[in-house]
Amino acid sequence: MLVKRAVAGLMILAGVLTLGYVGISSYIAEELVYESPTAIVKTPANLDLRFANVSFPSRGDQINLKGWLIPGMLPDGRLTVERVIVVVHGTRTNREDPGAHLLELTAALARNGFGVLSFDMRGMGESPPAPLSMGTLEQRDVLGAVDFLRSGRLPFPELGRPRIIGGLGVSMGAASLLMAAAGEPGIQAVVSDSAYAEIVPILEREIAKRSVAPIGRIPGVLAPSALVMAQLLYGVDFFAARPVAGVARIAPRPLLLIHGTADDYVPITNFRQLNAAATSVPGAHVSTWVVPNARHAQAFKKTGAEYVTRVVAFFDAAFGAAA
Amino acid sequence: MRSIRAAQPLLVLIALVAVVLGLTVIAREISARAGFLVERPIVLLVWLAGLLIAGAVFAWVVRRSMRGDASRSGLLLMALTALALASPLTLILLQHPSP
Repeated sequence: MLVKRAVAGLMILAGVLTLGYVGISSYIAEELVYESPTAIVKTPANLDLRFANVSFPSRGDQINLKGWLIPGMLPDGRLTVERVIVVVHGTRTNREDPGAHLLELTAALARNGFGVLSFDMRGMGESPPAPLSMGTLEQRDVLGAVDFLRSGRLPFPELGRPRIIGGLGVSMGAASLLMAAAGEPGIQAVVSDSAYAEIVPILEREIAKRSVAPIGRIPGVLAPSALVMAQLLYGVDFFAARPVAGVARIAPRPLLLIHGTADDYVPITNFRQLNAAATSVPGAHVSTWVVPNARHAQAFKKTGAEYVTRVVAFFDAAFGAAA
Repeated sequence: MRSIRAAQPLLVLIALVAVVLGLTVIAREISARAGFLVERPIVLLVWLAGLLIAGAVFAWVVRRSMRGDASRSGLLLMALTALALASPLTLILLQHPSP
């Protein structure tokens, strides 16, 4: 009788704990896979640049993404799209990304003779709502941008089609770009600013800092199950968001890794892991720039002209000067 | 016959998990056509409702089985079922958060 009661008690305890654990984790997963889009306030016109609104499908799942194509300006005043940089923003923002001054960086690239394709990743800015996967799905958006530049209907037809395509990404944009470039040789040079090596350890830390109504502060023990539930319920595989796994495949194409020493969101250990993986293969062309006292995705904001000089020099060396 | 009855909760647990997961996948496929903003809450609702109904069905099956079979092997099988039920809790061990 006593054993029977013990087994019954064990069953009730297991049932209640599991139901609570899975139920609350599922709710957290639902919150994790979506961020409300933020509105775009400024456009390249505010910085006296010519541009055209464009839209193109992501590769594979055909999500209609919105963006700007900004022709580069040559020293003699002519416009060019011969060399185009795909600029990829981070999470919880859009192609303007005021926090990282991304529009200003975009403008600086255009003024240095690079065409820029800047776009809102899925679920952000003016692109349609979609799950947030921290790079696993977003890499398809980067690949869609490359397809658009290669074969889409481009504005400014008088400027022809890009001869060379490079990429510059910040934070999640950098991670998405690294994963896309690993399998897409059409991206001929990559600048990665503040990328993570893998997202799961960062999410596990961040989930425990978040509050979700009506639960309040999320206990850390729920983090792994929330990530599993995101995959089970929404097909969002955060575990696959691991740029470190593919970064070596970018070689022999040039890669510039930038990271701030004061980055407390993506610790600089991520930069070291990416650098070690990227340089682990023969023929790798990896440059690095560690920015003293720069916080997450703040390297351009902190260094301004020096950032532009370094990035332009990197792309000029990779592509050759504009004709 | 008695052993089959004792194994019933475990079999029902497996079947319920499969059915709830299957229904959730179907709900996701159907609601995805209306866009992610619709898909997101519908999937969660179907999943949580499925979990609650499955929990009630499972509790009823367990109660029925425990009344009918108090043999040693029956109780052992029931204890194993409780462990299987608690197995999702092992996910706690997978944590390796970033500094």
